[in-house]
Amino acid sequence: MPHEATVTTVGRHDGQPIVSLSHVTLRYGDEAHEVVALDDVTLAVQPGERICVLGANGSGKSTLASVVCGLLAPDEGTVSLLGEDVLGPHGVDFEAYRRARRGIGLVFQNPDDQIVTSIVEEDVAFGPENLGLPSDEIGRRVSRQLRRVAMEQYAQHDPSRLSGGQKQRVAIAGALAMEPQVLVLDEPGALLDVRGRRGIRRVMAELHEAGTTVMHITHFMEEALDADRVIVLDHGRIVLEGSPQDVFAHGDELSALGLEMPFAAQLATTLRSRGIDVAWTCDKDTLMRELSGRGQGTIAPRMGTEVERDIPSTGQAVSCDHVAYSYQDDTGRRALDDVSFAIDEGTSVAIVGQTGSGKSTLVRLLCALEVPDLGRIVVSGIDTHARRDRRRLHGHVGYVMQHPERQLFAETVLEDVAYGPRNMGLSAEQVRERCAHALGLVGLVGKEDASPFQLSGGQQRLCAIAGILAMEPDILVLDEPLAGLDPRGRRQLSLILDDIHDHGVTIIRVTHSMHDAARAQQVIVLSQAHLLMQGAPREVFSASHEALLHDAGLGLPEPMQWALALGLAEAPLTMEELVEALVLREEAPHGI
Amino acid sequence: MAFRLSMGQYWPARSLLHRLDPRAKVACALAIMVSVFFVHTPVQLAFGWAAALCLVALSRVPVGKVLASIRPVVFMLLVLSLCNLLLTRSGSVLLALGPVTITSGGVWAAVVFSLRLVVAVIAAALLLLTTTPTQLTDAFDAALAPLSRLGLPGHELAMVFSLMLRFIPTLADEASAIMDAQTARGGALAEGSLVRRARAVVPIIVALLASSLRHANGLSRALDARCYEGGGTRSHWHPLQMQGKDWIALAVTAAYVGMLVVLG
Repeated sequence: MPHEATVTTVGRHDGQPIVSLSHVTLRYGDEAHEVVALDDVTLAVQPGERICVLGANGSGKSTLASVVCGLLAPDEGTVSLLGEDVLGPHGVDFEAYRRARRGIGLVFQNPDDQIVTSIVEEDVAFGPENLGLPSDEIGRRVSRQLRRVAMEQYAQHDPSRLSGGQKQRVAIAGALAMEPQVLVLDEPGALLDVRGRRGIRRVMAELHEAGTTVMHITHFMEEALDADRVIVLDHGRIVLEGSPQDVFAHGDELSALGLEMPFAAQLATTLRSRGIDVAWTCDKDTLMRELSGRGQGTIAPRMGTEVERDIPSTGQAVSCDHVAYSYQDDTGRRALDDVSFAIDEGTSVAIVGQTGSGKSTLVRLLCALEVPDLGRIVVSGIDTHARRDRRRLHGHVGYVMQHPERQLFAETVLEDVAYGPRNMGLSAEQVRERCAHALGLVGLVGKEDASPFQLSGGQQRLCAIAGILAMEPDILVLDEPLAGLDPRGRRQLSLILDDIHDHGVTIIRVTHSMHDAARAQQVIVLSQAHLLMQGAPREVFSASHEALLHDAGLGLPEPMQWALALGLAEAPLTMEELVEALVLREEAPHGI
Repeated sequence: MAFRLSMGQYWPARSLLHRLDPRAKVACALAIMVSVFFVHTPVQLAFGWAAALCLVALSRVPVGKVLASIRPVVFMLLVLSLCNLLLTRSGSVLLALGPVTITSGGVWAAVVFSLRLVVAVIAAALLLLTTTPTQLTDAFDAALAPLSRLGLPGHELAMVFSLMLRFIPTLADEASAIMDAQTARGGALAEGSLVRRARAVVPIIVALLASSLRHANGLSRALDARCYEGGGTRSHWHPLQMQGKDWIALAVTAAYVGMLVVLG
């Protein structure tokens, strides 16, 4: 058995591309519903290059990943992978595909689907076993790659008990154990929290250092900054290509494509439009250096700029009183311990905390899916302990779980949305009205008779949320509502949630994003099963809390980090506030 | 309402049972499980139980873990023995209370039939607790090797078996998430008439099916990407090799079964 998969540096010196696609077109579906997933794509990847692919949902990113991995053969064009002409003018060469695939690794979104055995180290060994490697070589590779992704102490564990980030690192180790020359990562961080994503980013940087060719597909613009070259896809076509600096200079085009610029690029653009003459860049350090170099003017911190939105305090939506809860498993670990807080009606609340801090447990308790071991939770005036009242409670509290689209089941969108109202025993007329209203809120009017499974990813989530909204809850609880969406989907859903909040609904959302938390009226910080802080974003996210937040695995919102680094007196929560502060500093007299 | 199936959950430890060749282990476990049907006397029962307890001690799996993994089956056996107690009519009548008649034969059947099956359940649980799914698959693969020689998909069947073990906990988690979501939308899973409850199951099954299909799609992509091409070209990290201890285990098991039959 030949071992083509061992790492070589072949081709690095002579400029021969390691992956080359030429005029590639790939179509899905039949004649009537044909979808062009890739449209005349030409792409050459040099050995050792790090490429990032951006694009909205449905732009053809995953198809491109499959073609580069040799898992899909396009309908037209030529493809050469690792020097093998797998698809030429004479058609598909299956043997060449087989040989090429042995040198290309793939890691994709859902780690659960990529792990094939129930022991971490045996899963890493699965690929090398398929390559027919000798036993001692497999052992060496397994321990080397587990060490590389910092999972060696979990070698004997059951992957289904690991966190999402840990599972994804195991999946990466599994791909690396085949020692691929090219590693393709298809949205590896889409389902992970900030820490999980950071871990993956670190592994990618190391691989790039070590000379592996990396192709990374992502919805997070910040991650594209690490790449040598950025490619933007739209409707199967490459519409922008170049260094991050080149690509992100096309801000208007990107937002038309449903994408956005990284924070530093947005800041630079806005500052320039406000007449502050900084050089445009998408690099954080460059902009930071330039900004700290100018504007020596100091100004007294402006007082009374707090724009506290009025919270009509009509009553309490939720009150938690010394709540404790333990899991019923072998560990008996406390998931929540002595947690007390209250939420006023009509407030928008963000619950933050790292994975395992008890956020999801708290949400389940609020929705009366579990009952606290100790303490009392009163939601909409109903004590969740009272079994008889719990059904009534489910009419008041709407619960949108993580990835709610996974719970879709009905034949049509309308049927799915009507499930909740029907269970409430409403008349057919009322059910119809409520469904129409809910579908209107999420912008799915006209899709009533479509199958929910035919909607796009973002639309599926909106459909699932409409199913909750149709029950007209007073309190809407959402667990990571924006996870896994592309920038356009994130923006759209944020607007919808703001709209619902404006209608007087109390919104409680669990989030990993400090950016989202800063936009709420109240922030609840959980750390290791305890309530660390509760307050308005301005109280919670203050410079004096930086260390405390850091210890809880969190941080300050990005605008505030900038303000601190630049020595501004203000504590801006949004980019607009940061820009205002910088403009003000610019106008202040220098050299005081 | 989180529930977990404890089946197929490996417990990592370093014991003789963990180190045995999975083929030998499966053969021994099967022999022990079948042999319980020879148990008819208290002496045999005591012997079988002594053997089962020895195995638990040898496995170095915490007793609580073993108990947890046999609990659901033991509960079923309790129901079974209650039926035996009430329905078997043989021997002398011990108690007659209206329609309930308890006979000495019934008591005997209730005690022996369930206790002897517990021995079989312990053997099965220990097999799953001390053998990784990959090893089980390898043993299964070896057992199906004659099929592969006939051109039937023996190896592929073993792989399917292994993936099944791998995905049971994942799908169980998803099922409980879906049930929570339906409950929060007023689905009548835990209350209402039987018909209402049965109807409430449909959405769960459809959603679970959709999610299984999603997993299947992802999994096929993963298997392709990791160059899985069936049995032929695969090597093994820990190739199976029968050693002295494996032959001894087989011999001891054979002696145990022989002894059990002789005692009867």
